Amino acid sequence: MTSDEALMLEFQGGSRAAFEELFARYHKPLYGFFGRRLNNPERAEDLVQETFLAVIRAASRYEPRASVRTYLYGIALKLLAAERRRFLTSSTSEQSAPEPKTGGTPECMLWVRQALEKLDGPEREILMLREYEQLSYSDIAELLRIPVNTVRSRLFRSRLALKSYLESEAKSNPALRPNAGQPHPGRRGMQ
Amino acid sequence: MSTNRHPIEREELMAYLDGELPADQATEALSHLELCAECQTLVADFRGVSQELMAWEVESPDVGIPSEINAALGERLQKREAAKVGSPRLINRVMTSRWVWAGALAIVCVVVGLTLLLTSRNRNEGRSTTYPSMASIEQYLMPDRNAEIALARSAAPQSISSDAEIMVLGWRGYETAIEGKNGFVCMVERSWTSPFNSAQFWNPKVRVPICLNPAGARSILPLTIKRTEMVLAGLSKAQMIDSIKAGFDNKELPAPEPGAMCYMMSRAGYLNDAVGHFVPHLMFYFPLTDKTSWGADLPDSPVTLNPQFQGGPEPITEFVIPVAKWSDGTAAPVM
Repeated sequence: MTSDEALMLEFQGGSRAAFEELFARYHKPLYGFFGRRLNNPERAEDLVQETFLAVIRAASRYEPRASVRTYLYGIALKLLAAERRRFLTSSTSEQSAPEPKTGGTPECMLWVRQALEKLDGPEREILMLREYEQLSYSDIAELLRIPVNTVRSRLFRSRLALKSYLESEAKSNPALRPNAGQPHPGRRGMQ
Repeated sequence: MSTNRHPIEREELMAYLDGELPADQATEALSHLELCAECQTLVADFRGVSQELMAWEVESPDVGIPSEINAALGERLQKREAAKVGSPRLINRVMTSRWVWAGALAIVCVVVGLTLLLTSRNRNEGRSTTYPSMASIEQYLMPDRNAEIALARSAAPQSISSDAEIMVLGWRGYETAIEGKNGFVCMVERSWTSPFNSAQFWNPKVRVPICLNPAGARSILPLTIKRTEMVLAGLSKAQMIDSIKAGFDNKELPAPEPGAMCYMMSRAGYLNDAVGHFVPHLMFYFPLTDKTSWGADLPDSPVTLNPQFQGGPEPITEFVIPVAKWSDGTAAPVM
């Protein structure tokens, strides 16, 4: 399989097929990125498009210094920050936006979302980048411009805190809790 | 948790689970984890948190490339074509000036210097994500022989690996470090057992603990040995592919024996940048076989076709089946 970086360089060289392959690889992960952070599926899709438009506009300036994956999430984080600023200054509340469409049961989603919302913003972001976007510590450090050790210590704190929230929630509201330990259904190739 | 009782910090244990510890530290972590119930509980807690988080899935709509993106894409590609067509006249005009040549030379020097600097920095920080060519041999070797032996053993439960022959990688290839008694052979494979077209083929971070059963040791191990010898001899990929084909043609390399399989149940391994230590699994080897005969890759089937030999010169089909526990008996994430 051609690497993301090779595809990006092919796209720089004028290959439409290379861009289409990158789009196919990253559309779903980017939608997940925005979908979990915004309560608005339509805006999530818009921002995925904006991410790819930014890639097209900046293609000539891309350098294979960082992975394409990190590069894309870097763009996505900037767009997300702009979106949040826009929300703060607009009359539209995030709370009134429709809920994202989820594959799990609503209880599953609610359970996890409520626990995540209790974390501090920066710690939540690090945890989500690690767990959902599967970024390495160094990638997260580069994106958030913080030392790798800070990523590690915040990730550690956030995981312990989340465990504590989930346990207390399980005690106070056992009916809400989905089957614990349900595995991720995704399958990853070995080689 | 006192550091006097635990040779590794709790944060390091977490980093180990995330595949963020170097192989030698990971081996140390694994050794400690096997004996420490407190740390096993912490590990189970971390895994539990990750699994709970995975309950939150977001389904993306199945869309093709939207028209706005298609339009922007078309515009960019057209501009690029136009620039290519228009550039020769401009180049001819400006290249007449010797000052332009001098400037260009200066720019080339700066670019080459920066590239070397960045390449060097990326290597030092272990953050390089592309591996276009072989790194220095030292980067593939494990300086601590005992750590490599422990890592190799971690591929299978102790009941199997403790009596297995252990091979370690040296400057001239794999060599037997410990003689075995049960016919199994455990070792730590390197990146060049990946498919030849894999982006990870030269990734020096890769460490793949594997224990082959006797049939696998007789019929699959020779292939790993041969690939390693060719890599250390500096052969190109094309030369390696030709040599492997010839090896199978002239029977120098054997076909997979019936029953050939291996254990890959170590959580201290590093299979590639995408999957880290992956999940514990078993692999079964056959002469070229239709994957449907095993129901591989069908919905809800636990069997997958491993692409390791797909499209490669080896006439081998390899099936993968995840298992529920790591070699130390602790629970692993289910696929």
